[in-house]
Amino acid sequence: MHEMSIALEVCRMAEERLEARQLGQLVTVGLEVGGDAGLEPDNLSFCLEALLAQPPFAGARAEITRVPGDDLRLTYLEVDDERPHH
Amino acid sequence: MSVRIIDVRERVMEKNDEIARTIRARREHAGVPAINLVSSPGAGKTLLLERTLDLIGDELRIALVTGDVQTHNDARRLSEHTAALVQAVVTNGACHLDARQIDHALEAIDLEETDLLVIENVGNLVCPAEFDVGQHARAMVAAITEGEEKPLKYPVMFHACDVVVVNKLDLLPHLDFDLDRFVANVQAVNPHARLIPLSARTGEGVDEWCAWLEAQATTPK
Repeated sequence: MHEMSIALEVCRMAEERLEARQLGQLVTVGLEVGGDAGLEPDNLSFCLEALLAQPPFAGARAEITRVPGDDLRLTYLEVDDERPHH
Repeated sequence: MSVRIIDVRERVMEKNDEIARTIRARREHAGVPAINLVSSPGAGKTLLLERTLDLIGDELRIALVTGDVQTHNDARRLSEHTAALVQAVVTNGACHLDARQIDHALEAIDLEETDLLVIENVGNLVCPAEFDVGQHARAMVAAITEGEEKPLKYPVMFHACDVVVVNKLDLLPHLDFDLDRFVANVQAVNPHARLIPLSARTGEGVDEWCAWLEAQATTPK
């Protein structure tokens, strides 16, 4: 149920980094989701893609890797420096 | 297209947990315990808090933060039972309170003039278990109208709670609810939880809940 809250937090983390470092447009968000993190990866992916379709993003993808344990981590941001982040 | 990868490797909950740690440090410095009160929607958190304020609100300076998806109704109801400011957080759709919202709410609360902080979370038995708000104890209100199976269906939340208030006991004659089975189910997922059966409506048993709260406020945290 809190996949949407987690997705919002991931977007906040991504936006904070894009703005602070004046990076280009987000292409992919990489996440690691533990099997015991209490999240349904397909649902999280669905929430993320809905949010990443909205400004300031422009249709970035979410790449979720399932890992053992209860970790939930934003692992990487793939950005395109030729397309400005708005 | 010039695409590159920025390494992050940060826990998604890190920011929330960091703010929760600062809240915890601030209130421990001021000697104020905080109860994170959770339940499913409609279990009776607000009525229990109204009764609590009527019973011990004069002895204990209780600061309240209420979380609701929409409306300030709970805060308005509680304000009628206390002279203290009741801080309302409207989450606008989010299913839980997070540490950032509590941090903002605390800006208007003088912890030096507070004996006990009660955070009435959004009615939900899933998400508030994941979000640390800097509490020192979690208490749950479970109504007997919800049935005996709730602890087995929401084990993470029941496991995370120090106290389970079993509310709406006045309805027992009208229901098929088996209190012993409910207690056994709570103990199966959390053998350490203290159970307090009561009726917020009639007031029966509320004194035991208040005594637990008073004990929290007088034990150094």
